[in-house]
Amino acid sequence: MRAAILFRWTWCAMVAIILILTQGQAFAEVSGKIVIFNAGSLTIPLAQMEKEFEANYPQVDVLREAAGSQKCARKISDLKKPCDIMASADYKVIDKLLIPNYADWNIRFATNQLVLCYTDKSKYAGEVNAKNWYEILARKGVIWGHSEPNLDPCGYRALMVLQLAEKYYKIPGLYARLVANRPKENIRPKSVELVSLLQTGNMDYAWEYLSVAVQHGLKYILLPDQINLGNYRFDEFYSQAVVKVTGKKPGTFMDMKGGSVTYGITMIKDAPNREAAIAFLKYMLDPQGGLKILKNQGQPPFVPCRVPTGAMKSSLPEPLKDLVEVKD
Amino acid sequence: MKREPFFWVSISCGIVIMAFILLPLIQLLTSPSVGMLRESIGDRDVVRSIWLSIYTAGLAALISFVFGTPLAYLLARYDFRGKRLVEGIIDLPIAIPHPVVGIAILSVAGKNHFFGQILAELGVRIMGSVTGIVTVLTFVGIPFYLNAAKAGFEAVSPRLERVSRSLGASMFGTFVRITFPLAWRSMLIGIIMCSARAISEFGAVVIVAYHPMIAPVLIYERFEAYGLKYSQPVAVWLVSISLILFLLLRILTLHKVEEQ
Amino acid sequence: MIAIRGLTIDLRDFHLRDINLEIAENEFFILMGPTGAGKTVLLEAIVGLIPIKNGAISIDGRDITALPPEKRGISIVYQDYALFPHLTVLDNITYGLHFHKIDKRKAQGRLAKLLEVLNLSHLQHRLPTNLSGGEKQRVSVARALMVEPKVLLLDEPLSALDPGFREEVRGSLKKLHQTSSITFLMVTHDFSEALSLAGRAAVMNNGRIEQVGEIEDIFKRPNSAFVADFVGMKNLFHAEFKGTKALVSDLEIELGVTPPNSHGYIAIRPEDIVISRRRFSSSMRNAFSAVVTAVIDQGFYYEVRAQSGEVGFASLITKSSLIELKLRETSDVFVSFKATAVHFF
Repeated sequence: MRAAILFRWTWCAMVAIILILTQGQAFAEVSGKIVIFNAGSLTIPLAQMEKEFEANYPQVDVLREAAGSQKCARKISDLKKPCDIMASADYKVIDKLLIPNYADWNIRFATNQLVLCYTDKSKYAGEVNAKNWYEILARKGVIWGHSEPNLDPCGYRALMVLQLAEKYYKIPGLYARLVANRPKENIRPKSVELVSLLQTGNMDYAWEYLSVAVQHGLKYILLPDQINLGNYRFDEFYSQAVVKVTGKKPGTFMDMKGGSVTYGITMIKDAPNREAAIAFLKYMLDPQGGLKILKNQGQPPFVPCRVPTGAMKSSLPEPLKDLVEVKD
Repeated sequence: MKREPFFWVSISCGIVIMAFILLPLIQLLTSPSVGMLRESIGDRDVVRSIWLSIYTAGLAALISFVFGTPLAYLLARYDFRGKRLVEGIIDLPIAIPHPVVGIAILSVAGKNHFFGQILAELGVRIMGSVTGIVTVLTFVGIPFYLNAAKAGFEAVSPRLERVSRSLGASMFGTFVRITFPLAWRSMLIGIIMCSARAISEFGAVVIVAYHPMIAPVLIYERFEAYGLKYSQPVAVWLVSISLILFLLLRILTLHKVEEQ
Repeated sequence: MIAIRGLTIDLRDFHLRDINLEIAENEFFILMGPTGAGKTVLLEAIVGLIPIKNGAISIDGRDITALPPEKRGISIVYQDYALFPHLTVLDNITYGLHFHKIDKRKAQGRLAKLLEVLNLSHLQHRLPTNLSGGEKQRVSVARALMVEPKVLLLDEPLSALDPGFREEVRGSLKKLHQTSSITFLMVTHDFSEALSLAGRAAVMNNGRIEQVGEIEDIFKRPNSAFVADFVGMKNLFHAEFKGTKALVSDLEIELGVTPPNSHGYIAIRPEDIVISRRRFSSSMRNAFSAVVTAVIDQGFYYEVRAQSGEVGFASLITKSSLIELKLRETSDVFVSFKATAVHFF
């Protein structure tokens, strides 16, 4: 009898403690604005994350600004615009443009691959497939484009895919021929702009991430893993592709080397709202939180997220350390 | 002579307005150093974009003049059912937000729209082309030309035209010999207003055509990418060149007045 | 020359109702009526500047209803002159020559004649802004005549002029008409002007023609109360006709003839009424005693109003007569007029 009563009381106490603990976490004193500069391809997943997060933290207002990842970085470094979190489609942009002056660490949290998007109104839409796509893009009269390589990783990645295609299909001169059929007018600063051009019928084909194609309901061609920048096993093959883009200062340039698409995220050094930012990151990098949303929207996350070195892991804010493993 | 308070109030308002306009302009014009200005004008991209801005605005004004003059004349001379509606429609482009104008034009120009399909068959390209830019600029600029020209025609007494007809001139002959010589000044003002509006357009053009880059898009791109320091000089050049062009046009009209 | 049949116009502000009019070649025809009667509308319809709802217009036997203005050969002179402000006087006058193929020497001759008759030679190179009203009007007329129209329409050409100029221009118009074969059709709202210029005339009201005929006829025998009032017949009374007499209130007025109807109107011109202190023993069959109710200074004449019982008469006398008769309000007088001066309809 006494054992039963004792057991019941312990059980209640445990439940109460657990409730108090979890309640404590939900009603933390987190409030105010969180400013996120994010890559265009993260817009739709982040919008949903914002909804979920603000439901749990009603005092917080998440403000997102989407742009090509290099442009996001420049807003922070050159224009000194206030920002809490920067989420990039290429972790290398954070490494090259923000570390060490504006950020200390870089968490890699998701992958993606490039696909060739089109609609049923596109020229040769009935004909195009994974075997003849490069031949169709070279045809006169076909309007196809990508985003600005100097402002958006999707831009230089598209060029990398083309360079890799030349090597993979063993067609010398393919890259130059394709670029010749893509005039400057078909380049847009942000890759997501290309989606509306496809949908209105102003463009026939555009290079986009698979996640964006899925999110917008576009038709797409899946490319072999060797060239789609989506499989880290082919990192060595990818590294053959090199694209020159503008560097830290106007007039300078830097080389972006091909590598599997890896998204990176960081918190800016003098973030105006550190507490709220960390809370958001803790939610976003949680496999049941933000990462689940990414997966549902066609963008494979790293579960768990990664940092390249132990040193970087120890420089992370405490609440985030558990969500991250060390892996290069 | 003692002036009454209303006079002084008017003067004060005038000074406030002039300051309101001049302060940001002076700040803009004096910010860049001479070195930066020289570097800017030496940059081929800058020169190309300013030239593109000028001649697309000019084309837009020309198209407005050619197609808008008959309509303006019609509206000035005739009354018909639905005239108010037509005049309202003409003023619409002024009220529509500029990005919306760009989106609307792109939607019509794409292959998803029957008109866009016709354009595609004809080989006419709107997105990312000079044609597209001129289309947008004409869309936003034509109301300004129409209203100025219409006012000019309304100021010419219909009686003069009637006498001309009775003396043997056709409608067209009357327009050329009587109406146009008396209204050309208003038409020119309309062209200036249309060009000014066109040359400064940004929001609608950037959606339809990022490349080729007109000057306002270049200024914005430089601002976003590198900040004030690299965008201000281009802005100064664009504003200065536009100012000179418009002043020249105005002087030309003055000249004619003195001749008469 | 001009034949208008069943002309009907229905515009937003103007209306013409079933106009029928015939004007012979080289007539000087006057069109009269109050403002808003439709006179200008009719003129512009003849020139071809207004769309017609119904009816036909022919010039010299040719139906021109469907012709555009530039092909009709009809010139118009407007009340506000409508000179082209950007052209000199000479360019204004010769404007029509751009569109009419006329032998150069003939044109020069005509130009010289017009400049002389209208006294414009010294003004050839002036701009319209520097001309006086009368000069502008003469240029306007010269311009209209330069193209040798078959018909010349004039819309109140004298109304905007000072009285001094009016005489001048009136004289020029008369001379021009007499020395050419052009048919003149002139609009005026001033009846005295019509009297001095025309042969035949028409009176318009509310878009309709009320009376057409020789000016004298309209003047002396108006066929309606409106026309009577328009031509200045001030003494207009409703009357019952009994035999040769007209009964107006309690007065019996002798007409000398028997009117065809039993009741209607009588009208007497103020100049035909004689005011005297004593009963006139003369051939005037109508004489009534009356009391002066008003003496109104009309400039050169005085209008004297006298009331006989219920009937008020208006008469005109000179200043000297006024003084002689020592007339003022409440004076007892006699009002006399001939039976033939009484117009009935």
